[in-house]
Parts: sequence; structure tokens; C-alpha cells
Amino acid sequence: MTFPAELKYSKDHEWVKMLDGATALVGITDFAQSELGDLVFINLPQEGDEVTADEAFCDVESVKAVSDVVSPVTGVVEEANTELEDEPQKLNEDPYGAWIAKIKDISAFGELLSAEEYEAFIEKK
Amino acid sequence: MSELKRTQLYAEHVAAGATMVDFGGWEMPIEYPGKIVAEHLYTRSACSLFDVSHMGRILVDGTEAVPFLQHVLSSDAAAIAVDQAQYTIIPNERGGAVDDAYLYRFEEKRYLLVVNAANTDRDLAHLESQIGAFDARITVITGDYAAIAVQGPKSDEILQVLTGGEAVTEPKRNALRSLDFEGRSVHVAHTGYTGEPLSYEVYIRSEEAVWLWRRLIELGAKPAGLGARDTLRLEAGLPLYGHEMGADPEGKEIPIFAVPLARFAVSFAEHKGDFLGREALERQWEAAQRIKSGDLSDVSALPRRILPVKLTDKGVMRAGMPVYNGARQIGFVTSGTVVPYYQFSEEGVPTEETGRHAIGLALLDSGLAAGDEVEVDVRGRRLKAAVCARHMKAEGPYARPVL
Repeated sequence: MTFPAELKYSKDHEWVKMLDGATALVGITDFAQSELGDLVFINLPQEGDEVTADEAFCDVESVKAVSDVVSPVTGVVEEANTELEDEPQKLNEDPYGAWIAKIKDISAFGELLSAEEYEAFIEKK
Repeated sequence: MSELKRTQLYAEHVAAGATMVDFGGWEMPIEYPGKIVAEHLYTRSACSLFDVSHMGRILVDGTEAVPFLQHVLSSDAAAIAVDQAQYTIIPNERGGAVDDAYLYRFEEKRYLLVVNAANTDRDLAHLESQIGAFDARITVITGDYAAIAVQGPKSDEILQVLTGGEAVTEPKRNALRSLDFEGRSVHVAHTGYTGEPLSYEVYIRSEEAVWLWRRLIELGAKPAGLGARDTLRLEAGLPLYGHEMGADPEGKEIPIFAVPLARFAVSFAEHKGDFLGREALERQWEAAQRIKSGDLSDVSALPRRILPVKLTDKGVMRAGMPVYNGARQIGFVTSGTVVPYYQFSEEGVPTEETGRHAIGLALLDSGLAAGDEVEVDVRGRRLKAAVCARHMKAEGPYARPVL
């Protein structure tokens, strides 16, 4: 399991990659995809959706169950990764390449951990 | 909570890195590190192993074993010869299912009833309560033998290595055979819960279970968990107690004849006599005949039936989701997920190309039929779906998808 050092992580198992001071890509962590199992569907947010830190903004379905994806930031969806609609398995295969949404106008962050802190956090689980 | 039970193969699952879950009081593998989708596909193209040692195994013997079985089962227990098995249902007086089961006759005078793990204690109490004056005895032997399901197109050639080239069983479904696997005695059934044309379930003494499991893996089979077992049975349209049998999502009892397989599991043969639930089942059967001929004037005994459905919109349907026809609710999804499949070549063999589709089984108003368009309420969104005849068909050694 990998946790790239340049990313920030939420306790709900999302990652954040800052593109500039107010824009970021978000996705789910390697730990999340591994726990969820084979992902077979994603219900993506729409461009223009306002998302709020610590609130669900998208859901993913594994073979077994549906799970909410909780936004790590407050902002506006600039773009959703529609490639994932046809290939949700990319979330399993390449969790840090398979970004879910690009969020702009970020005005607030939820609690974010460094890679090291996140790794320690999931080890306790 | 009481401690979870473990099968003879528990340590093998853990060593292989399986994710273990509580399943009917047993600590069982839901998936191995390769995950459900790969396990499902490997079953369809090659051969998977499933540890089914948790399933309840009840031995029935005594001079009136057969009359007793005739009384408590829906099927004609007198119809199976030695080395044959049959699918059966344990009915209650109302024509609902206490459980579904498989009845095996490996020996002349002893019958083996295999039931769902989570229902074993309840089934036992029910059978005990019905034994009355019958000269019959029921003994639970679950722990004496391990059970390994060997399923998929390569299962025959793998098992024939162990038999030294001898046929595993007669080449027909439900055939049984007691034989040797490299010097160890086993009981083999040509049965399964995956829809695979070539599928076996092997019973072996507990102390030999690990040997057989490892040997099968050495020969090219791969372990698969309960997750793939569920997607495979769903694709094959096979019922699961608690979903397609027992109580529906509203808590109402599902009539046995709502399940398409019931017609193979229920016998009204005269010599079977007045078994538990017979009257209710006859009413259901008559209703089923009327529905089949298009007469919906009296469906009270069978208001809804289980039918395969597929989503035509993007999404996933799950058990318990309501199904609509316009504004009218016409039933519920009883099982649903996304399953993977192989694209088949023109020669009828699986290619490297795979796809996935969202399928399910649903309990729908009698009168609905394959081709009807319906809608599923997926957490507040209405998604289009279609009733279909089946999700899969067996062709030669392969089970292939019907898209």
C-alpha cells in the first residue's frame, strides 16, 4: 500500500492534491480502495456542484456495497473525471491517478493529515 | 456474541490473505487478495475452489428415513437411487420455505441433507419437531467432513488427475460417486452453486481437508470467497435463502413457487403422501399454471414471483430496493450487484475481453414477464431496468453471459 508524500489525506480516506492555492484534485486512498474491494460504479458529482468539507459529494459502489465519498474540502466542482464512469476499476488499479473531481474556489479544508500521519492513523484501525 | 466457528481450512484462508467475515456464525473468507471480480471470472474460464465446510450436514437414517424425508421435504425422496442427489426445499405448513437444501444418497440406507449454515440450528429444531412417530434418526455430522466446491470448465481435468484418469462422476448433474483421490477416500457430487456446467462438491474427512485444498491449488485451481460465490449464483439465477426465500423486504413470507427452481424441487407424486405444506403448495402450483396461461384472475396464492432483471441505465441495484411500473410499486429487488463477464469468441470460448453489467433478481407482481420494462428506485433515483429470461446460459463446458 502506498501513500505519496506530496498528497494530504482525510480521516475519511480521501486524498487531496493541491494544484494552486485554491484548486485541488481529490480522490480515494489506496487503503480505501483496498477496503472497498472491486469498484464497479461511481456516481460522480456534476460540474458546478458546491461541495462542503466533511460532507458526502459522490458515491462509489463495490460488488458488495455502496459507500459515500466525503469531500475533504469546501469549494466548487470544476470538473469530474468522467473516464471513471466507464472504468471505475481505475479507482482500484491506480487510486492516486484516478482523481474523482477537480475542486476550485476552495474556501475551507477539513482535517488533513500528512502521508506519515495518515499511515499511522490507518495502522491503528 | 458467541465465538465464531471455523472450518478445517481456516488457517489456509488466513495464510492466503483472505478477508474474513462473520457468515452465519462462521468466520469465512469473503474474498482473497485477487478480489471478487477476478475470482468470478476465473471460475467462468478455469476453476475455483470454495470452502463450503460451514454448510450444515444432517444425516438421516432409520427404517423410516424415506417416509420421514417425504414428510418434511418438498421433493420426492424416493426418486433418488444410490449415487444420486436432488435439490429440495424444507417447506412449512403455509408453503413458505424453512430452508432450501440438497439431499444426497451416497449409501443405500443413509441420506445426507445439506442445509444453509445460518439456518442449521433452526432446521434441526424443525426436523426434530416433525420426527414424531417416524422410526428415523437425525444426526449432525458437519464437523466430520470438510466440503470443497470445485467449480468451472477445468474442474473435470483437475479432479481427473486425482482419480488417476477415472471419471469423477457420471456426466450428469446430481450424480454422486465415492472414490479415491490419490489414496484418500472422498465423496463427490456433480453439484454446485455457480451455474457452471462442470462443477463438483467434494466431501473429505476433516484431517485430509488441507491436503486436498493445497493439492487442488497445485493443479491450477484458485480459491474464491463468499463474495464471488454470491455473484456467481446471482448470475446463474440461483436463489439464496433470506433473499429469494424466507421473508421478503416487507417481512411477508415468499411462497415457494415464487422461485423458478421450485418446479424441480416440489413433487406431488401420489406415493409421497400428505407432506407438510402440500395443500398450500398445490394452491401455489395451480396459481402458477393459471399465470402461465395468462389468466391473472386469481393470483392470491402467488401474488409475486422471482424474475431476473437487468439495469439498462447506469448504476447498481441492491436487495430491498423498490421496483416500479410508472407510479405503481410492483415489487422489490431481492439480490443485485454488478457482475463481470467474458466476451465469447465466435467459436464459443471466452476471450481476454471482459465487461461488467448490473443485474439482479426481483420479486415482481405475477403477470410480469421477460421483456417488460420497469424502474428501480436506487436511493431516490429512478433507473430503467428490464425483466429478462436469464442472465447466463450453459454452453458446452462454459457458462456464458446473456446480455
